[in-house]
Amino acid sequence: MEVSRKQSKGKLIASGIIPFAFLVLLIAYIFGPGSDVLDLGVPLPEITMEKVDFVDSEIQVTVRNTGPIPVEVVMADINDRIQPAAIEPDRFLERYETALVRIPFEWNVAEPYRIGLTIEDGTRFEKEIEAAAPALEPSLELVGFFALIGTYVGIIPVMIGLLWLPFIKRISKQKYHFFLALTAGLLFFLAIDSIEEALDVSEENLAGSFNGVLLVATVIVLSFLGLYYSGEKLIKRAASSRLSKPVAIALMISIGIGLHNFGEGLAIGAAVGLGSIAFSTFLIVGFALHNTTEGIAIAAPMSRGKGLVGKAMIGKLAALGLIAGSPAIFGAWVGGFVYSPFTSVIFLAIGAGAIFQVIVVILRWIREEGDKNFSSGAVASGFAAGMLVMYLTSILV
Amino acid sequence: MIASISVILAMSALYITFPESISAQQEDNVIHTHTGGIITTTGEIIDPVYTATTDPEYTEATIEFDPMEYLREFDYGEVSTLPDGTTLREFTIIAEDDQIMEVSPGIFFNVWTFNGQVPGPTIRATEGDIVRINFINNGSKPHTMHFHGIHPAEMDGVFEIVGQGGKFTYEFEAGPVGVHPYHCHVMPLEEHIVRGLYGVYIVDPKEGRPAADEMVMVLNGFDTDFDTENNSYAANSIPFYYQNNPIQINTDELIRIYVLNMVEFDPINNLHLHGNLYYYYPTGTSLVPSFYTDMITLSQTERGIMEFQYEFPGKYLFHAHKVEFSEKGWVGIFQVNDNSQQDEKSAEKVEYGS
Repeated sequence: MEVSRKQSKGKLIASGIIPFAFLVLLIAYIFGPGSDVLDLGVPLPEITMEKVDFVDSEIQVTVRNTGPIPVEVVMADINDRIQPAAIEPDRFLERYETALVRIPFEWNVAEPYRIGLTIEDGTRFEKEIEAAAPALEPSLELVGFFALIGTYVGIIPVMIGLLWLPFIKRISKQKYHFFLALTAGLLFFLAIDSIEEALDVSEENLAGSFNGVLLVATVIVLSFLGLYYSGEKLIKRAASSRLSKPVAIALMISIGIGLHNFGEGLAIGAAVGLGSIAFSTFLIVGFALHNTTEGIAIAAPMSRGKGLVGKAMIGKLAALGLIAGSPAIFGAWVGGFVYSPFTSVIFLAIGAGAIFQVIVVILRWIREEGDKNFSSGAVASGFAAGMLVMYLTSILV
Repeated sequence: MIASISVILAMSALYITFPESISAQQEDNVIHTHTGGIITTTGEIIDPVYTATTDPEYTEATIEFDPMEYLREFDYGEVSTLPDGTTLREFTIIAEDDQIMEVSPGIFFNVWTFNGQVPGPTIRATEGDIVRINFINNGSKPHTMHFHGIHPAEMDGVFEIVGQGGKFTYEFEAGPVGVHPYHCHVMPLEEHIVRGLYGVYIVDPKEGRPAADEMVMVLNGFDTDFDTENNSYAANSIPFYYQNNPIQINTDELIRIYVLNMVEFDPINNLHLHGNLYYYYPTGTSLVPSFYTDMITLSQTERGIMEFQYEFPGKYLFHAHKVEFSEKGWVGIFQVNDNSQQDEKSAEKVEYGS
């Protein structure tokens, strides 16, 4: 009896390993050294200019080898005119390796530039910069400036939105459902907005080898699942702790919105960093209006919190507002000082996944509260109104 | 003894204390920018000076091309006299299309070649000579040689396509006097030309031209990424070559340049000379110059002879005044040396044409 169980366990392990071993053999056969089974076609080199900085009398380009084969960067040009340049640490780039190309050039503020790099086989790669602007030097003043912008865009509007809480508290169940659905609509819009932004950034700045669309999809799903799992735990625990279910939901909404606002901060910081000042002014005004509605999203579930009165309520609201709003400050710092398209895409996709998770939680709550009914006029009109309000305020951005 | 030991000790102590700063100083490279600025880098400079070499340790190139050698190199052929007293000049030209040339520092490009170089060899004869070209196509594609000039239709290198491994003998009387292009004339023509199948064919007048320091400049470019735009331009293939390696000439010595424009894709090219003007003989067909100028514009295969001499020693630029081309390599320098001090040297160095 004992022996046969051991035997069957051994068989089980073997049956798990054998297919895997065959897979390893197959891959070794196809890709292993000396194999010429798949020696078809010509691998094409590819480099991606991920970042261009305009510094004093110099243009600095961060370049990454994003192709399947090693390359040598041998020539630099500005506007298709060859320039002597330096490359640090050296011109040989293995797969995914980066280098800094320094091109001495007396550039002019606000003028467009095309940066070209040529590799050893004569292929030229180009990156267009719409308007040159001095690279931001991290200074205390600038750190403070970005913090201020982040506060304007993130914290204050969310706080203002939260002021609707007393109003929402007093309304009827029907109207309350309307506001919950409105929140779901707002968030749905934000999620799509984040995805669009993530895809834009990956399209413009990430090499094809990163599989931009799939990267975004994967990160959204991972973020959704991660937060869904931990959110369930949070709600379960809320039942037995002093944290009530509405607060737990509001907290999740705040986290989701916070991740989203981080993305907004990135956009503003990057826009200031890229010198599009007028554009970033619009961004700031637009996001501020837009984010007021996020306050409503947090306020809506909170309004049904039992036993939340007075100072405790105000303290919780302030904390939630900070969770939702302050990431805009961090986003602005990151976007302005250490912008990297890859991390931006990741953050935007995490934000989108977080928002989808919040939407699921809200919808489920409406369903539980609203007698298992989604199709009431309040819910439908609320969701529609949420999308519409967001769309209209987004035109300002 | 004690002093030297203490110096060594002091140095090594210094090195142990500040190893980074010392090695960093050793590694720093300096870039001289086009605007005269200087920046230092711990990395590599990617505007290196072109070095003609086929040493596999340093290069992927399979052919060697030295623009300075090409500049003053004329191929007069294997000379013999026909029974009627006419001079026969025989040339062997081999076409290939699998060679790799360093067309700009660090850029290795598959060029199509006559006798393993771009431009092909400068073929030179005197008016009335019989020119016989034993053409061999060692390429993988069909090629021909089409000479500009006067010759029978079947010697025109257009309809008599020479296939892979094929041979053809072009024979015609040299004429008219002047400077002419030769190039492959197989379709797609633009590709066969721009890949490098072209060269200069000079016909000297019977009476000769005045003695001069003679040079050939083929204005050309390479489209290394196949987007029907040139990635680099030059006189004699290598961008910035004569800027980094100025052409040495002497004061009060007649300079004669045979100029041929072979640039494709761009409708015009030109040549501007600094600190001087030149006499210009369009196509070189007349012994009397048509212009005295410092700027001539040339269309595809347009060519001519430029003659000038410098009075003052020093550095003089010459370049395309279609400045885009000069910023992409078509720029050079004449280093004019004072003739009075080095008469003997220059007499040895300069080989006069014909």
